[in-house]
Amino acid sequence: MLKMHNVRKSYRTDTIETHALRDFSLEVNEGEFVSVTGPSGSGKTTFLNIAGLLETPTGGQYLLDGQDVSDLNDRDRSRLRNEKIGFIFQGFNLIPDLDLFDNIDVPLRYRGFNAKERKKRIEKVLEQVGLSARARHLPAQLSGGQQQRVAIARALAGEPRFLLADEPTGNLDSLMARQVMELLEFINEWGTTIVMVTHDPDLARRAHRNIQIVDGQVADLRLQSALGEAVTA
Amino acid sequence: MIGYYFSLAMRSLRGTPILSALMVAAIAVGVGASMTVLTLNYMMSQNALSHKDEVLFAVQLDSWDPNASYRGDSNLTRMPWELTYRDAQALLRSDTPSRQVAMHRWGATVTVDDSEMRPFIGQTRVTTRDFFALFDVDFLHGGTWEKNADSNPAQQVVITRKTNEKLFGGENSVGETINMDGHPFTVIGVIENWNPVPKVHDLNNGAFDDSEAFYIPFGLHRKLEIFSWGNTNSWKHEEDLEGFEGFLQSESVWIQYWVELHTDEQKQRFENFLTSYIQEQKAQGRFERPLKFGLTQPSEWLVVNEVLRDDNRVLGWLSLAFLLVCVVNAVALLLAKFLRKAPEAGVRRALGASRNAIFTQHLIESVCIGILGGLMGILLSMFGLSAVKSLAMGFADRIAQMDWLMMLSAVGLAVVASLLAGLYPAWRISRTSPSIYLKTQ
Repeated sequence: MLKMHNVRKSYRTDTIETHALRDFSLEVNEGEFVSVTGPSGSGKTTFLNIAGLLETPTGGQYLLDGQDVSDLNDRDRSRLRNEKIGFIFQGFNLIPDLDLFDNIDVPLRYRGFNAKERKKRIEKVLEQVGLSARARHLPAQLSGGQQQRVAIARALAGEPRFLLADEPTGNLDSLMARQVMELLEFINEWGTTIVMVTHDPDLARRAHRNIQIVDGQVADLRLQSALGEAVTA
Repeated sequence: MIGYYFSLAMRSLRGTPILSALMVAAIAVGVGASMTVLTLNYMMSQNALSHKDEVLFAVQLDSWDPNASYRGDSNLTRMPWELTYRDAQALLRSDTPSRQVAMHRWGATVTVDDSEMRPFIGQTRVTTRDFFALFDVDFLHGGTWEKNADSNPAQQVVITRKTNEKLFGGENSVGETINMDGHPFTVIGVIENWNPVPKVHDLNNGAFDDSEAFYIPFGLHRKLEIFSWGNTNSWKHEEDLEGFEGFLQSESVWIQYWVELHTDEQKQRFENFLTSYIQEQKAQGRFERPLKFGLTQPSEWLVVNEVLRDDNRVLGWLSLAFLLVCVVNAVALLLAKFLRKAPEAGVRRALGASRNAIFTQHLIESVCIGILGGLMGILLSMFGLSAVKSLAMGFADRIAQMDWLMMLSAVGLAVVASLLAGLYPAWRISRTSPSIYLKTQ
């Protein structure tokens, strides 16, 4: 589903060049639920942004669903993002002046579905997250857990094959966090591939596989690389 | 998607009412000021004879003083805009033009027998019979006078529909009698109201005045001693000419002259006629300047007569410069508004919006501001034009008004201005990195 090989990402200012990802290689298979952990500043979010086609890598190769997306233009990246990727953010990122129905409608509009198709999909996902009765409420009228469920519904409306979650329970209390996690597990069981960045070791353990990122590299690979250098020396 | 973007734009405008109102006001003030000036210029540039521009010609003969300019400036080659009476009479003898009109402005005290209406001054055009056909003036009742009335006195009059309503309550008044300066005139025709702006057929006598209400035959001059009520310019001291007949034979120019020529051959023949006439007059000691005449189409005639002056044009450019200042203000306001919405743009990018989609969405929001600004600009323009009317004390009443075309132009100008204002802010927000806002929201 996702394959990164020697992906690099650096940010350059006038005086400093910061390497957010260095020779980052990772493969996530279709249907997997992968958790990503690591200390702050290790490159987790940069990895997620590149995986979600929100940023372009400085170097290396990124294959999404078998397609090399490293050098796609903005239009193609946006189309792929809309069709194949769903996002769930720590801060929910709902548009405050749109009601739930219209929030979920946003990605479907960019997909070009007609009004009937959009309505059908919106009603379906709202039902899946248990918020059908609140369709015309504004996000501010909901609790944090409910807002995150709306965000999940929005991510699911386009029926993406790949869901990227950036600390989806970070702003929720433990009860809400558990509900959201159960919902993600349920979604994964339907066949959606999920990559979830989290600081919570308990949640990380519930994934099929956990990956640690340290200093812009996958931890075990970094270890192998260090060992290799030591042998050479 | 365009409809979706419009609905987002209206929602966004409602979400920030004060900022939106400021932007709409910035555009509206610029458009209002520009359209006030541009409307005046536009109305002054109208050519009511554009449909006959290829076949109508104002006639000029250079009979002026060889040592002085016609308009008191240094231009010694400028021809007088009007003809002398004797030249007009001579030109009327040509049978080359399909139609030709010699005419001037006059006025008379008008009364109607057995009417309680108080006497009033009736603005009158003394003209040859072709006037109505040459200028495409339609008759409601009756028609024009016979050809011989152009050279022989016939106390007949054609009146406008408005005058007919005033004098005869709108009934068919053909055959009725009205008195002009005490002389009885028989009404032989009623024309539809005809009021071109500017008055291209006679720009010398108030280019933006109302057209005349009464039309009488050219053959009445001697019988009624009709002097000109319009511009009369003279350059020669002619002691031997006395009285009304002296005036008619003088070098004073006061007759407007138009011809209708349909073919190049016809035009050439008329030019030959004019050349022969001037040469003949030169032989008699007149036309002391080099041989010169003018046959000018209506559109060019408006330029020659400087209906739209250079200072009007400069004012037009200045008003557009003011609009530009307003646009710059709108750019700053739009930038502030759009960048405040950058997090939302980030979310939309994450959900599949391309940079172009974000750019278009925000540009359409600018267009909405432009449409609202244009509508408000029309109101401000109307207010501005009312102020112009008030300041001009009636002289600008006929040009200080907006037609549908100018109203649409106001909205168009506002949309273009708002598009210009929105280009940079929309581009800026479409280029921002979504990942920054997604993490920091």
